[in-house]
Formats: sequence, C-alpha cells, structure tokens
Amino acid sequence: MNKIFGLALGILAAIGGFVDIGDLVFNTAAGATFGYQLMWVIPIGVVGIIVYSEMCGRVAAVSGKAVFDAVRERVGFKAALGALVSSEVVNLMTLAAELGGVAITLQLLSGLPYRWLILFAVVGFAVIIWVTSFNWLERGFGYGGLCMLVFAVAAVKLGPDWTKVGKGFIPHITQNNPTLYAYFVIGLLGAAMTPYEVYFYSSGGVEEGWKPKDIGLNRANAIVGYLLGGTLSLALMIVGATVFLGHGIAPQHLGTIALGVGDPLGKIGLLLAIVGILFAVGGASIDTVFSGAYNLAQFCGWEWGRYRHPKGAPRFAVTWLVLLVLAMGIVMTGVDAVVLTEYAVIFSVVALPLTYVPILLVANDKAYMGRYGNGRLANGLGLVYLVLIMVVALTAIPLMVLTNAGQN
Amino acid sequence: MSRSELDIGLKVLDHQLLDKNGRRCGNVDDLAIEGGPGEVPRVVALLVGPGYWGQRAGWIGRLAGWIGSGSKVRVEWSEVTKIDSAVHLRNDATKLGLGRGDDRLRPYVEKIPGAGR
Repeated sequence: MNKIFGLALGILAAIGGFVDIGDLVFNTAAGATFGYQLMWVIPIGVVGIIVYSEMCGRVAAVSGKAVFDAVRERVGFKAALGALVSSEVVNLMTLAAELGGVAITLQLLSGLPYRWLILFAVVGFAVIIWVTSFNWLERGFGYGGLCMLVFAVAAVKLGPDWTKVGKGFIPHITQNNPTLYAYFVIGLLGAAMTPYEVYFYSSGGVEEGWKPKDIGLNRANAIVGYLLGGTLSLALMIVGATVFLGHGIAPQHLGTIALGVGDPLGKIGLLLAIVGILFAVGGASIDTVFSGAYNLAQFCGWEWGRYRHPKGAPRFAVTWLVLLVLAMGIVMTGVDAVVLTEYAVIFSVVALPLTYVPILLVANDKAYMGRYGNGRLANGLGLVYLVLIMVVALTAIPLMVLTNAGQN
Repeated sequence: MSRSELDIGLKVLDHQLLDKNGRRCGNVDDLAIEGGPGEVPRVVALLVGPGYWGQRAGWIGRLAGWIGSGSKVRVEWSEVTKIDSAVHLRNDATKLGLGRGDDRLRPYVEKIPGAGR
C-alpha cells in the first residue's frame, strides 16, 4: 500500500512539475504554430528528465543528499554561488508565472478580480503549506492534477489524422521558418527538463525518507510519473494543432488552452480542464517555492524540509514564505503570466548544465554510492543528454533574441 | 597528520555538518590549515559561516557573506567523529555556536499556530 502512495511523488512531479504552466504554454503554442511537426521533441525531453530524476532520486536514497548539496561539493564554491543565484532568479520567475496561472484559473471559475485572487492564492498557499504534511501536499495536488487527463480524452475525441501525428515523431520541417522552429525545440526541451523538477524531486526523496531499499520505487516514480506527464504534453500539442492551427488563434491565455477541451467535450470537459490546470499550476507553485527554499538552505547548510516542521527548520520556513511574497509582488505588477513563463523557461535552460553536471558526477562517486552507482545505461544516456543540454543552453538566448521570443 | 589526512581534510570542504543529534548545522565553508615551509600541512579546524565566503570567492563572496550576516564559527578538527556523505560532530550545534540563525528565528516562528505540525 505504501508503495502505491509512494508513487504519488512521481505523479505530483509529473503533473505539477512536468506539466506546469511552461508545458501548457509551449506544447499548445507549438501545436498551434507547427501542427504535429514537433511531436518528436517530447519523447526526447521525457527520457532526459527520467534519466536525471532517477539519478538524483537514487543519490538521495543512498546518501541522503539533495541536488544542491551535490552542486556545492562538486563544482566548487564560486560556480555553486553562481548556480544558486541563477536558480533562485529562475525559480522566482517560474513561481510568479505559476501563481499568475493559479489566479487566472481561479478567475475563470469565479469571475472575481485578478489581483484579489493573487492575494487569495498566496495566502491560501501559505496556510496550506504551513499546516499540511509533505505527503498530503503531494497527494492532494497530484491527484487533483489528474483532471488534466481530460486533455488526453479531448485529443482522441478530436479525431486527429493519426498518420500525420505519427509522422510528427520523425524530425522534419515543412514550414520555412527554421529559426522559430529551433526556438520551439529549445522551449519544449526546456519546459520538459526544467531544473526545479530535479531540485524538488531529489529533496522530495529526502522528505519521504527514501533509503537504498526504495531505489525500485524511485525508478518506478520517475518512469511512470514522467511518462504520464509526457503523454499529457503530447495531448496538449494535438489539441493545440487540431483546434487552433489554421484558425490563426495563438493560445496566449490559459483560458484559451482550456477552451481547446471545451470544443470536443462540452461544459463538463471545460470545467475539468480548468480544475486540472488549477491543480497542475498549483502543484508547480509548491514545487517551485520549495525548490527555492531547498536550494538556499542546502547551499548554506541550514536545516531544511517540510518533514522538520517550521519549528525545526525556521530559516527554511521563513525562506519559502518570503519567496511567496516576492513572487506575489511580481505578478501584482500585472506582468502577463504567459510571457513571464516563456522567459522563465528559456532562462532556466541556460542554468541547466550547472544543475545536471553535479548530479552525474555524484551518481558516479563510488565512495558514496557503493554498488548503487551509475551503470552503463545511466552513464551513456547521462552523457548524451549532457551534450544536448550544453547545445541547448548555448543556443537558447540567441534564438530568443532572433525570434523575438517566438513572436515571429 | 599525514598527506592522506590532509586529503581527508580537503575532501570535507563544502560538505554538510551534522551535530550529534543529526541536526544540519552549516557547511564546511573553509579550512584552517597549519604548517610552515618544509612542514607537513595539517587541517586544524573547520571554518563555518558566510563570514568565510570572501576567502572563497573574492568580492562576490564577501557581498554574499555580508547579505548572509557574516557570521564566523571555528570548529576544531577534534570535534569530527565520522565522515561519510556528511561531516558528523561530537557535540550539539548550539554548544558549538552553530545553527544560530535557526535558534534566533525559532521563538518567532513558534508563535505561529501549527509551527510544530
């Protein structure tokens, strides 16, 4: 029974971490702009996040170390400080975008003013996190996020041309804008492999008290969770391509993305989609706010974790409260949540190597890992993805400038 | 302390410190190494706190350390009982002057209902 509950970590990481506002935006926009042409990017991103999540989950289970412990040990103080600052900036941007997403979905459900709903959401999160255990947080948001599966139902019901969908898994371009195409490839990979997912996943393993015997559970979590997330990404792209492509509609509002479901499934489908998005971006808000606090605490060596309770880890508790307030300040300025998301995803790509290199190094350290160190498969895939991440990190900002953040 | 002992000393740099109760109480921010020319260098103490960051990363480290209150604590090498993925200490954090930031905030955080849940 515990094993089944244990899987919730993977599901939360998948729904709240994998399918967050970044995936909603990039997958639907990719479908609306390029049809099925970019389907092939999704499995690449999914395998990448599975490989690195499995690795850092295994490190957490065997050594009790989370990602930022490893970053500081392995890349040296200076580079780690740089990684800390950049990850905190990107985390805060992402958190602000997710909070904006929460407020937008609450507005769709209630019709109340946006800024009041931001305040309501932040106070709500502060209270929920303060009184709820880690296990219940992840179960609540993970299972609520399963409403997102309505996108998969919609994708099938829309009756896409499955031959064309299948061809999308073979990389090709039929449109004459290769720069925009490349920008979307980077964005989709970035949204799939966002660094906060591994920060949250590894620290979550420590929160759950994983031991070496839980390595099988870790593997199952990573594989099942992210495959589910990947399926939802494919569904979002199919919905984007079928409903929006050719109608000149760019889904620049979360409500528009939900409407993609309303078309084939009616009012109930639309409601489920909005509730699913609410739980997914809500879960991602919790992932990002915790990631920010985990990273700072691990860099400084403070006591951390929801399992220590606010009393046992006061600086950790104050850090996530402060991050919530700062993110609230950002969304309150009225900045567009979808635009903020695009910037957060692209900047996070630049920070990827400093997160993934230390994971690979620690997972190979026989002194900590003993017989649980990386095997050939994990190392082979780890190295391939490292090269890919380097290329992606170097091209992200130039592509963003060249395409005016995907506007042309 | 032999050459290999110095290696152990260098290995603990940037590692997590745990007190006797398993409480996380800082990272090893720097090392105090003694030994003149011709002598074998020895690690005599662990240096803990943002106040030592300037020695690690120049002005950026000093700035970050200043933001982080600039505290400095010296922990004698004899306090170390075990080194695995963390550095284990013989005494509790409060006695060693570690984890003071958490101790200072705790009375305020405790006043909020549900802080122990």
